[in-house]
Amino acid sequence: MADKSTKDLIMDPVFNNNPIALQILGICSALAVTTKLSTSVTMSVAVIVVTACSSAAVALIRDRIPSSIRIIVQMTIIASLVILVDQVLKAFAFQLSKELSVFVGLIITNCIVMGRAEGFAMKNTVSDSFWDGLGNGLGYSLILLVVGFFRELFGSGTLFGVTVFPKKEIVDGAMTGWYEPNGLMLLSPSAFFIIGIFIWVLRTWKPDQIEEA
Amino acid sequence: MSANKDSLANTFMVATVLCLVCSLLVSAAAVALKPIKDRNVALDRKNNILKVTGFSDDDIENGGGIEELFAKRFTATIIDLETGEEAIEDCKAALEAAGKKIGENVIDSYDQFWASKSKKEEVATQLEKAEDKIGIKWKEKYSHVFVLKSEDGSSIEKYVFPVRGNGLWSMMQGYFAVEPDFQTVAGITFYDQAETPGLGGEVMNPNWKAKWNGKKIYDVDAVKLKVSKGDQSANDYGVDALSGATITSNGVSYMLEFWLGPKGFKTYIEKQKVAEMPAAKAANNRTGSETGGTRG
Repeated sequence: MADKSTKDLIMDPVFNNNPIALQILGICSALAVTTKLSTSVTMSVAVIVVTACSSAAVALIRDRIPSSIRIIVQMTIIASLVILVDQVLKAFAFQLSKELSVFVGLIITNCIVMGRAEGFAMKNTVSDSFWDGLGNGLGYSLILLVVGFFRELFGSGTLFGVTVFPKKEIVDGAMTGWYEPNGLMLLSPSAFFIIGIFIWVLRTWKPDQIEEA
Repeated sequence: MSANKDSLANTFMVATVLCLVCSLLVSAAAVALKPIKDRNVALDRKNNILKVTGFSDDDIENGGGIEELFAKRFTATIIDLETGEEAIEDCKAALEAAGKKIGENVIDSYDQFWASKSKKEEVATQLEKAEDKIGIKWKEKYSHVFVLKSEDGSSIEKYVFPVRGNGLWSMMQGYFAVEPDFQTVAGITFYDQAETPGLGGEVMNPNWKAKWNGKKIYDVDAVKLKVSKGDQSANDYGVDALSGATITSNGVSYMLEFWLGPKGFKTYIEKQKVAEMPAAKAANNRTGSETGGTRG
């Protein structure tokens, strides 16, 4: 593992070993925050910061962590970082933090963060762990952005709140727009469909990811 | 080092040091960012009050920002919901009796949500189950009221009341604006809610909120205004319900029924009607058809 280049550490989790598409981790928050692109982006940034920093911090003290309490130690570090991110969002991106509400706090329970701390950072150097965390955060973000893009576009007819498909509705008695928003897209199941389709496309492109039946 | 890292002493050492470092980090961030967060919340509420009375983002920018425009056009006060009288001093005394630390400016620092949550007799009254359709359990005794003055400060243009009530998932908190006749709706908005996005969350949709403007509130003395199914554009007392969000829609109806009724601001409204009557008439006579015609 140590002979991997920084570029591989970052790019591998994005396409070859994507935490959501291949490892099927961190699905829960991918359903909850992707109704809009703006929240998807904020969530992505938050997760990238937390995975990168927590992996680095765990790697930094990996030789001192007693194995009996290592999971708790990792949790404490992750939880502290998540609270920090939440506080910063509340102070500097108030409107977005209101929309994300509880889900920023729930990054703590995101399996990707724990998974990288336990699976990679405990055995690798600080810088490698940082890049690995960053890469996994990016892999998660890629899915979030793709899902957020389709859900906002077809669910509300907008992207980043800007109208792309004018909504069909009655304004001042006159019919405007033509797009009938797809309500299903705003509900969680649609994220499953989109993630499913994404995995399908990804595995058609990279057939080695297909699991043996 | 690694030989004794699993020893009991080291385990305690690592746990203690880690907890100390993490707690210091978290509390430092919380304390350092608190003023900014509090300012954001206060600013967000003022922004919502401005929006509900029809100010656009451009108006706010031209008016010198949220704080300045709010200070210039709005008078905030605290009223006793039961007597309908202004009660800033009473409220201050009650808060002190309840053991709540209050800032220099009672009006700015009073948090009626806290008063309701505190379940303290000094600042709130417990509601019977049957009369508590909005799910607040305890009703605060004192409430904010925001009054929008005209540009030159001579007449009152709108009243804004804080309202809240349970939807499906969340306590929806918002503001309700009425014209000075206390019969015509001037606007409604929510600054805090967590209803299902796309369904109940559509209470935030500007198009839906726009449907409220100009609707009528009271039939004789009872609140007749409510959210009902179907096209309500011809109905003075109805607003089209949100599709797929019956519980949220009902929540909005109950909320208005409660806050505009005798448990809410009705007493205050009656007092204001009596007090404003001669003044309003005089203003009408002075400016002729202009004020009378453009309202409504």
